[in-house]
Amino acid sequence: MKKNKTHEEQQKLVIDVGDGAAIPIKSDKGLVSAWWIAFLGAIGTLLFLVIFKPDPYQRIIEFLPDGILITFQVTVYSILMALVIGLVTGLGRISRNKYINLVASTYVEIVRGVPLLVQLFYIYYALGKFVQVPDMMAAVIAMSFCYGAYMGEVFRAGISSIHKGQTEAARSLGFNRAQTMYYVILPQAWRTILPPVGNEFIALLKDTSLVSILAVADLLRRGREFASESFLYFETYTMVAIIYLIITLILSKLVSIMEERLSRHV
Amino acid sequence: MSRQNAEPIIRVTDVFKYFDQMCALKNVSMSVAPGEKVVILGPSGSGKSTLLRTINRLEDITSGRIVVDGNDLDDPEVDINKVRMEVGMVFQSFNLFPHKTVLENLTLAPMKLKKIPAEKARDMAYQLLHKVGISEKADVFPSRLSGGQQQRVAIARALAMEPKIMLFDEPTSALDPEMIGEVLEVMAQLAREGMTMVVVTHEMGFAREVADRLVFMDEGVIIEEAPPHDFFNNPRHPRTQKFLEQIL
Repeated sequence: MKKNKTHEEQQKLVIDVGDGAAIPIKSDKGLVSAWWIAFLGAIGTLLFLVIFKPDPYQRIIEFLPDGILITFQVTVYSILMALVIGLVTGLGRISRNKYINLVASTYVEIVRGVPLLVQLFYIYYALGKFVQVPDMMAAVIAMSFCYGAYMGEVFRAGISSIHKGQTEAARSLGFNRAQTMYYVILPQAWRTILPPVGNEFIALLKDTSLVSILAVADLLRRGREFASESFLYFETYTMVAIIYLIITLILSKLVSIMEERLSRHV
Repeated sequence: MSRQNAEPIIRVTDVFKYFDQMCALKNVSMSVAPGEKVVILGPSGSGKSTLLRTINRLEDITSGRIVVDGNDLDDPEVDINKVRMEVGMVFQSFNLFPHKTVLENLTLAPMKLKKIPAEKARDMAYQLLHKVGISEKADVFPSRLSGGQQQRVAIARALAMEPKIMLFDEPTSALDPEMIGEVLEVMAQLAREGMTMVVVTHEMGFAREVADRLVFMDEGVIIEEAPPHDFFNNPRHPRTQKFLEQIL
């Protein structure tokens, strides 16, 4: 009985990683919720503009899909790399080895202290000084370098949320540290880690708009290209904003569904 | 008492253990012969759990020496993981792996650590579950089990590694009263089969029935050691007498 209780307590642990998208909460059901108002409003506005003012809105929306694809590509590649970096960083942060711990913590400290935009510029030009990499790859490296640090904190929190008894049980059976982590701790930590990873994914997707300054033709960049040719700044950025909003709203809904599923299957 | 003359399988010598400034174990020495059942008693905070946990080095010691089945735990040559495979441990809070089914809880360590083939590991696991009386729960997750059932699974999980020694750290303290009996019965059966056991518990009935020897600790010191009959009927040390007065 006691065990069940501690498990439930584990479930309720929320990893707070700041400025992600607002994830709809459970009680936010029904049509009258912030999520539905925003979602239907965005879809409605988009359809209204495209149908009733096809010029310029239809032209704009036909111009943007390439950019959406690039935005998704940068996001997915970056999050995958960030997950790997994050796992290593998270393990480093809980490592008993002083030096590994120090390296991981310093990395997190530096990344947190420098604005993402500055990091992007810096890594982009720093890379450019030594190697010739495609713009897109440079952008992905810069994004994942930054998000790896945040992801590291997510992993660290997820791993430390697992009761110490689990480690002791595994060690007492004869598993070494790495085996304990792999067979016992991480499979359980995953449940706590997944929702914040979803949040980070959404935050990262939004932040990829920053890579438009690095000559990567993402959604925002495509918008800027269109606007600078047509001088329809207001109209173009209206569409860009609505598209970002629709994407993040759908994703945040998916994350909240995932969260709910995870908490149901104990 | 010829057992005590055999070469001990656990030998704890002059052990000190500090947590920061707090001294949890003060010059503790004790040995356990193969097949012997030792029950450690004492008020809470007396260091009995700490002592138990030093035997498989879940707790490092500050000074002294612990030898388990010929392995000096502080010898850098000794692979502690190998030693732990021979020393099963059962915890107060069960600590079953919640993401694994009951059966998987039992097969995980034998398959990964001893490279026992899945089928053989499963057969063994079923036998053990049968032994602890819950073979019908093999495919459920631990959260579906009562505390008593979980603890019996935890015992079976430890036994699945075929240990030479079993350590029990207050195995019934987290259980509802009506479930204590079923766990103690499994432990008593294990004792009858000749397992070497070191048990920290507050169950005086179990201590009296099953133990070959009782060890009474207080404030990090072993105060008295005696067979159950002598311990309960003629406690020598005043602190033991006081402890027994309080609990009996």
